[in-house]
Amino acid sequence: MDPNNRLSGNELRNSIPNQTAFSHFNTQHPQKWEDPSLIDYSTRIEPPFQGFNQVKISQDGLGNEMRSTYKIQDWDPSAMLNNLSFLEQKIHQLQELVHLIVGRRMQVLGRPDEFVTQQQQLLNADLTSIIVQLISTAGSLLPSVKSTLPAAPPSVGQFGQLGGAVFPLPGLNGGVQLQNTNGSKVPDQPNQSDISANCVTEQNLNIEEHDLKEEEDADEGENLPPGTYEILQPEKEEILAPHTHFCTICGKGFKRDANLRMHMRGHGDEYKTPAALAKPHKEPSSEPTLIKRYSCPYSGCKRNKDHKKFQPLKTILCVKNHYKRTHCDKSYTCSRCNTKRFSVIADLKTHEKHCGKDKWLCSCGTTFSRKDKLFGHITLFQGHTPAISVEESKALVGPSDQKEGNQGTNKAGSMNFNFPPNATSDSGIQSIMDVKGNTDDPAGIFSPLNFDNFGGFGEFPRPPFDDSESSFAFLLSGSYNYSQKNEADDNSNNLA
Amino acid sequence: MSSGSTKNILSFTEDLLIRVYEKLSSGSDRKSWRLVCREFLRVDLVTQNHLRVLRVEFLPGLLRKYTRLQSLDFSVCPRIDDGTVSMLLPRHGSGSESDSLSWGSWARGLKCLVLSRATGLGFFGLEALVHVCPLLEIVDVSYCCGFGDREAAALSHAAGLRVLKMDKCLNLSDVGLAKIAVRCGRLECLSLKWCMEITDLGIGLLCKKRVDLKSLDISYLKVRNESLHSIASMKKLEVLAMVGCPVVDDFGLQFLENGCPMLQGMDVSRCECVSSSGLISVIKGHSGLRELNASYSFPELCTTFLHCLKGLKHLELIRIDGSRISETSFSVISAHCKSLLEIGLSKCVGVNNMGIMQLVSGCVNLRILNLTCCHSITDAAISAIADSCRNLICLKLESCDMITEKSLYQLSSFCLLLEEIDLTDCHGVNDKGLKYLSSCSGLQCLKLGLCMNISDKGLFNIGSNCPKIHELDLYRCTGIGDESLAAISKGCKNLMKLNLSYCSGITDRGLEYVGHMHELSDLEMRGLEKVTGAGLAAVAAGCKRLSDLDLKHCDKVDDSSFWALACHAKNIRQINLSYCAISDMALCMVMANLTHLQDAKLVHLNNVSVEGFELALRACFVQIKKVKLFAPLSYLLSSEILENLHAKGCKIRWD
Repeated sequence: MDPNNRLSGNELRNSIPNQTAFSHFNTQHPQKWEDPSLIDYSTRIEPPFQGFNQVKISQDGLGNEMRSTYKIQDWDPSAMLNNLSFLEQKIHQLQELVHLIVGRRMQVLGRPDEFVTQQQQLLNADLTSIIVQLISTAGSLLPSVKSTLPAAPPSVGQFGQLGGAVFPLPGLNGGVQLQNTNGSKVPDQPNQSDISANCVTEQNLNIEEHDLKEEEDADEGENLPPGTYEILQPEKEEILAPHTHFCTICGKGFKRDANLRMHMRGHGDEYKTPAALAKPHKEPSSEPTLIKRYSCPYSGCKRNKDHKKFQPLKTILCVKNHYKRTHCDKSYTCSRCNTKRFSVIADLKTHEKHCGKDKWLCSCGTTFSRKDKLFGHITLFQGHTPAISVEESKALVGPSDQKEGNQGTNKAGSMNFNFPPNATSDSGIQSIMDVKGNTDDPAGIFSPLNFDNFGGFGEFPRPPFDDSESSFAFLLSGSYNYSQKNEADDNSNNLA
Repeated sequence: MSSGSTKNILSFTEDLLIRVYEKLSSGSDRKSWRLVCREFLRVDLVTQNHLRVLRVEFLPGLLRKYTRLQSLDFSVCPRIDDGTVSMLLPRHGSGSESDSLSWGSWARGLKCLVLSRATGLGFFGLEALVHVCPLLEIVDVSYCCGFGDREAAALSHAAGLRVLKMDKCLNLSDVGLAKIAVRCGRLECLSLKWCMEITDLGIGLLCKKRVDLKSLDISYLKVRNESLHSIASMKKLEVLAMVGCPVVDDFGLQFLENGCPMLQGMDVSRCECVSSSGLISVIKGHSGLRELNASYSFPELCTTFLHCLKGLKHLELIRIDGSRISETSFSVISAHCKSLLEIGLSKCVGVNNMGIMQLVSGCVNLRILNLTCCHSITDAAISAIADSCRNLICLKLESCDMITEKSLYQLSSFCLLLEEIDLTDCHGVNDKGLKYLSSCSGLQCLKLGLCMNISDKGLFNIGSNCPKIHELDLYRCTGIGDESLAAISKGCKNLMKLNLSYCSGITDRGLEYVGHMHELSDLEMRGLEKVTGAGLAAVAAGCKRLSDLDLKHCDKVDDSSFWALACHAKNIRQINLSYCAISDMALCMVMANLTHLQDAKLVHLNNVSVEGFELALRACFVQIKKVKLFAPLSYLLSSEILENLHAKGCKIRWD
């Protein structure tokens, strides 16, 4: 964590905080809590918050307009009412949207997948914002609850907790504004340790499952108020550079400092001493080091410090991975499936470990590498079922393909012919009745090409994987085209 | 029939006729009813709601006529496959509309579908069937060994399913089970016996999704204790069968102590790792237990277990076959389990007269008592049973060779409700005993195998006094001759199962009497040395309902009778021709003409050439399900025919 090593010189625009204020905040001498303002904090409602916020803001060096929003203190019933009526409106809107989806689903049975997922995303976003607002509204009541508690000096941990709980407070004056202030962090940081955030966590698991993956390198566990940490922003070139450690003698680059030290041995005996080879120790500094957080150099990115909802990255490695994953081409392709692409080589390696084997799929399109994970998922979600994997169903559909089409199996195949292998009961029945007449080309009927028409067997992510409700509906409405398209037609001719 | 009486019966309104019709119980009575007149036939058509189909060729017609069908049974029909199913289904599109209207109607009201052993049926046929029957509640696909996840997925579309039997669907895995668990929201009974691929994950999911399940059978699955942990969470489970679960042990059963509050029936027989301590924990938690089967699970009935039994006031059935039991155990059971109706003590060590006497002194309501291989009991025990248990219906005394005609006298004097008695290998049974026994006029099932001391005289009494007998086992009763069969065929008109194997005294004349048993469906006549073709021909011509015939070692039966068999016995489903002197031609005739043959045992046919086998198999491959052949034939028969058989779902056993 040596800043000289990482933040090579001037590239980083640090917003250097007021050192004294910070240490004052962080050193946590017990007597600090004896400070009258802090004792006040636990007994009265408003002033401590004011104080708290002020401390923060002064460290932060944030604009004055922010401060003004923070300064609204009193629990305001009319604001609450506003808030609630806004929520009511919002929920009504949502209801309309769902109604619309239901109506639309009836009409467009043909291709429910894209439409529905799109709508689902919309819904999710709206729901999330409603939840955030609800929590902030509820959170505004918290201090009054706290005030009834006996006035004991809060421990450091408690302080942190309160900080989390209290943070949305400034949003009192309106739920919409809240989105723009720090309160908006609430839905994205599921591990907050206060009561209100706990319910957020649960909701998040359900609603924003896909988001979580992207946030995995985020500082989920912490809720650092802005300004309590130092922000470092490496340049793009630094991030993409293959090596970070360079030999001062020959200029060769290395990924790891240890490798560099090994290399240095070749440059002379002075580098072979145990001291030179030892891992450079961080000097135990008497003053506590500032917490460092990182910003992504890509402007407009949520991880960029200029972003309104900025979320810092924890380590330099996080920055590198984030930058590559989000803002670079995915140049590494999986050699097995030839479909999955990655920009971080470690991701590719992780994927390759699981690629191809043990694909456990849910009818919703989600894939799992392990069966128990799939079953856990199915247990959680209503109506989800495991999908029968492509290989298996193909194998079952075309047994005669596998057993080399000699005469005997041709005959055997003819017994399966009555239903084309598209799992549609209805279109299948059209081409039935003839048990013997269609032995000529079993391969044509069983060829995997047919699955393209069916849709869903080919790719995983599409919801109606094999037989979900929607896919059944799909078959009912548009299935006749199918049997007219391919050889199954011949069979129905035979019938007539 | 005079014209006056015709008027009378036709003047009945339809609902009255239906009421009369509903009183008819047996299939043959209903058949006679149908043949009376058009009106009667119409009543039959609108009333009959269950159909068990043997001949698929009549199915379309039947389905069109029987419009109120609720239950359809294909279990005896070998030819049900995708093609047949597709023929029966309503067709969309180009087909004539009026036709399709009448077609689909049968499926709309169907609630019960039995597809047991329908190995010819594939995924598409099953799926189509499920889709056209919207009200389906009960489905049986047991012993469809090829069925797996896709079939389960097809079945899961029947959202109203309540009862599902999937015994021995060998390819069924957790994935298929999950489909059913998620989609069939009303499922109450599920049987997964021998679905070996199922693991704890599947059972766990089932228990979470289908908390309302009332009955679950996980017999022979290799599930672990985790499964029982999940099962314990089911609040409404009443019956749990877990026969032969090799991995489950006492820790697993301990989960059940505080789970499944409604549990009434439990079967833990043949679980190797279960001991009485596990069972004790189950019993402790469920004082309302009614049925407990713990056969072959633990070697000895320990005292703590007996102590726990005291709590089971409502216990109706207990089976502890194969364990060691002491006299005191009997006194505990008899003192506390007063409502016991059935007790199974088959092959228990330590069962003696004193024990039985103590048992029956308390359990006076016993209906079914199984004392198979309890060698040390004598007439005294049987007297006590007869004296106390007046309601006894079924008594199994196989290999209790100390009992004599005195026991039978006691039984016939007091147990007048006796319906089934197994006296196999009881050497003490003689003609006198049978005479006593014949006063139990309600007797339906009588097993006298290996009773060497009985003769025509004894069986004459049975034949003349027990008209309700439908199963008679005379295996190796060497003392009997043709006269017995004469008496039985005269008196026991309801006889359906008859075993005459190795009754060396029987000749062609005896088989002619057998030919008069019109209800006979199962006939085992192995090793009848004196019987020739004429006898078999008489049987073939007379017993129209014959479905299962065993002719092993009937050396003198010649081709002419096989021709007769091929001509007349159209309903035969199983046949054993091993060691018969059948020729190529006759075998082909038999195999080709018996259009409902499903199971044939054809080993050691010395007069049949490889070509003969080839032709015979070719002739029957459409309907055959199981065939037993001489092992070297596997190399001699063409691969084509073997593949064809395999593709049809036929199993070949090489001997």
